[in-house]
Amino acid sequence: MGELAVQAIGFGIVTAALIAIGAMGFTLQFGLTNVLNISYGGVMTAGAFAALIAEEWHLPVAIAVVFAIATGALLTWLLGRTLFAFYARRGAGLFEMVMVTLAVSLILQYGIDAAAREQIYRFSFPQGTSLHWGWFTVTVTQLALVAVAAAVFAGIEMLLRRTRLGKALRAMADQPRLARTCGIPTGKIVNVVWLISGALAGLTGLAYVINSLTIDASVGTEFLPLVLAAAILGRAGSTRGAVLAALLLGLVTEEVSALGGAAYATVAGFGILAIVLATRPAALAGQAAAKPEITV
Amino acid sequence: MKKSIHLALAVSGVLTLAACASSGSGSGSSSGPVGLVQVAAYTGDQAFEAQFADSIDFPALYAVNKAGGILGRQVSLIQMDTRSDPADALLAMDKTLATNSDVSGILGPDSTSAATLVPLLNSKKLPMMIAAGEAAYDRSAYSYLWRDVPPDPANGEAIALWAKRQGYTRVATVFGTDPGSQGDLPGVVTGVKAVGISLVDQENLTPDQPSYRSAAQRLLAAKPQAIITESDGPTAATFFGELTQLGSIVPIIGTSGTPSTSYFTPLRGAIGDANFNKYFRAVVVGNPVANPAVPAFNAAVLAVQGKLAKPVSQWENNSFSESGYDAVIVLALAMDAAKSTDGSVYNTYIMQVTAPGPGKQVVYTYAAGMAALAAGHQIQYIGASGPILFNAFHNSFGAQAVEEFPANAPAVVVGTISQAAVQALNG
Repeated sequence: MGELAVQAIGFGIVTAALIAIGAMGFTLQFGLTNVLNISYGGVMTAGAFAALIAEEWHLPVAIAVVFAIATGALLTWLLGRTLFAFYARRGAGLFEMVMVTLAVSLILQYGIDAAAREQIYRFSFPQGTSLHWGWFTVTVTQLALVAVAAAVFAGIEMLLRRTRLGKALRAMADQPRLARTCGIPTGKIVNVVWLISGALAGLTGLAYVINSLTIDASVGTEFLPLVLAAAILGRAGSTRGAVLAALLLGLVTEEVSALGGAAYATVAGFGILAIVLATRPAALAGQAAAKPEITV
Repeated sequence: MKKSIHLALAVSGVLTLAACASSGSGSGSSSGPVGLVQVAAYTGDQAFEAQFADSIDFPALYAVNKAGGILGRQVSLIQMDTRSDPADALLAMDKTLATNSDVSGILGPDSTSAATLVPLLNSKKLPMMIAAGEAAYDRSAYSYLWRDVPPDPANGEAIALWAKRQGYTRVATVFGTDPGSQGDLPGVVTGVKAVGISLVDQENLTPDQPSYRSAAQRLLAAKPQAIITESDGPTAATFFGELTQLGSIVPIIGTSGTPSTSYFTPLRGAIGDANFNKYFRAVVVGNPVANPAVPAFNAAVLAVQGKLAKPVSQWENNSFSESGYDAVIVLALAMDAAKSTDGSVYNTYIMQVTAPGPGKQVVYTYAAGMAALAAGHQIQYIGASGPILFNAFHNSFGAQAVEEFPANAPAVVVGTISQAAVQALNG
């Protein structure tokens, strides 16, 4: 039992890495634009399928990664600057925009499903050898996923804290009208955020299918609840919070799976979310109430 | 007030007309095509059923219509989507029966929709060939319900017998928590205990999670010699892929719900073709012994291969498809024998065209059965799934086959579990 619990810590960190990459992209975009973007899951799927195409064409692994990231970034940027901007200009509120993103999510999912002929595909990404450290067992690829998540976190933190773009982004997230008045190029900032968020969605889709080894049109939408949970638990807009929340969710789900049973793992994860929201309801509502304006 | 009365009369008139229109659903119209309703999940999380339904319907309709149809009328297929939800299924069936006056029989319901649809269809006097394995239908009082596949526990018990025959003394189970994957689990659990095998670990997996590493690790720690399993394909791929990464893989025995491309493709990808070919077997419903009905079924499959999920080889000799195909042929022959497409008339003939008896002519195809009936003979249809011997509760199941699955080739039978052996297990 003790051995299983310790092993689950290692597994939890790998799962947390997957969730964290997606949650960072989601929370960054949500924090700035105030759009609860449900289509994020569909973009994850699109990124994963782009990588699958690269694999089917026997392109190098690095190109598959570029395919996934570029697809996610371009698709999200396109959606944000055209469709979401269109509805925002027409006065869509927060709830209406959620419905728009939900519609886009369904269109993406079923569009990809039709293009993929409703099939499930194998995703044969090299897993590398299994490494054993005491009770911990992890593959080289899983280790790489954790490293990628750490690198993404470091990169975003550096962007937000050390660059003019990051400062402008934080200013916009806090006070969009004041930021505009001060001459901050809001259009440019929003463009950058859509691109980063989309790139991370594509990367998350790829990371998910590397781990699960299969791909179908619903992978992104199935994974989205955990990503959303981490983003909300970590307080919308906070990448540090998203990473900590992802770590908590990853560890809780794997520990419950190891000690209680796999069937209860996801329930436990969302149980944590419910408890935190009950004790700290401002995590989501506070942000929306303080800054109800959509910035796309 | 007067206006309200007129409105009430108008509404009641419309309802009466609608009721009259739908009351014909149990009798079938006397001209035009004979309608058979396939009840399956064409959308939703059980949508994988659709390709199984197609592998039954299109070959069977091809065989019946090519032979001239039923009583000179062609058979038409009405695909009814349960949307993987029992409540949606009920609404869809109401709509189907209200808008189709030519419905003479039902192919289904499936496990998801049986609880809501069986009572309705029985009250409409529509014979139904259910594909639901639930034990609730082992001794049901529904006179229009027929089942030519084993109840779920029987498949699980056959798996336990196979595991015993292989010499395993420690096994583990890995099942999805979705209703479609849970049906065989009780039979497996009681079966392994009955044959004296230790069930060292039970993993129930919530489908479509990003990882099952902890569950896989726990299973490995229990050191099973074999794993008995059923889940959807992606869940199986993730679990067994991680199991392979964590340790050495052991033989996997799938239930009759596992053989399909949507299961095999991801699993092969996750554990590798070599491991799959070496370790994966499934205990499936159906006839392991070839008879003349089998090539007839395979020929029908090839004739309609453009309508079936690829590769078409997965449907040739597919035991589940053969049972469903036989169910359609039986319904058609019963209508021919009764000289009626009215369910309340031909229902009793279902037993008559399948039961053995002195002087009966044994037939293996619809065309042969139709010809024999036209010549005034009584018949016993033996199908691609073997003899169909309905008991007093309209249940029939024969031997079960243990199969291995070479890539892009029909399944190969490597063993047989007889009905008698399964029944002996139940005392």
